[in-house]
Amino acid sequence: MKNLRLKSARAAKDLSQEELAKLCNVSRQTINAIEKGDYNPTINLCIAICKALDRTLDELFWDEG
Amino acid sequence: MKSASIAIGIMVGLIVAVVLCIYANRNHRAKSEYDERQKEIRGRGYQYAFYAICIYEFIMMVLGIGDIRFPFEPYLFHFAGILIGVIVLSGYCIWHDAYWGLNNNRKRYAIIFLATGILNAIPVIGALTHGGLTTAPLLNLMVLLMLLILGSELLIKYLVEKREAE
Repeated sequence: MKNLRLKSARAAKDLSQEELAKLCNVSRQTINAIEKGDYNPTINLCIAICKALDRTLDELFWDEG
Repeated sequence: MKSASIAIGIMVGLIVAVVLCIYANRNHRAKSEYDERQKEIRGRGYQYAFYAICIYEFIMMVLGIGDIRFPFEPYLFHFAGILIGVIVLSGYCIWHDAYWGLNNNRKRYAIIFLATGILNAIPVIGALTHGGLTTAPLLNLMVLLMLLILGSELLIKYLVEKREAE
């Protein structure tokens, strides 16, 4: 399932996938895979992404469906 | 005598490679770093490479039991097994974006790739110009083939990524 909330949060911060990847110390392809829903990140990476985007885990990764 | 010189050549090459690797990694800077997704992919790559080598060795064992002989030296078949493992692992990692580490300098790797290709091409070209294809050192020819396969995969992957980025 695509993570559109992550994509929009990144866009709101005006960050490219490459820039977010550098902030989280991962590859651009990993950020792309998370946004496309092809990869489930570990809690450590989720926290790193949340910190980089100033969001909470709930806002970006909690599945309300 | 020829076998002994090949064995000595391989051992010297191996020692030189180990020394160069230790020298290049003296500050632990040459060690590739991968993120968690890449590590997972690489783990799967090693698994598939292991299966590929098992299948290859099984086929070679069956052919050996059947007393089917090939006009090549036995060591070449063992070397082919190693190369198959390398191709499977590298190919899987290339197509799943886990080949390049986070700290890899791709230009430096391209130079190493090219240097390896040239070093292996020299004896092959020398043999081709003097005695034809039958006298070409197969060990170097196999390495060249592997470099050609991996180089093509890397190039295609690069072009695909570039097209997607546009």
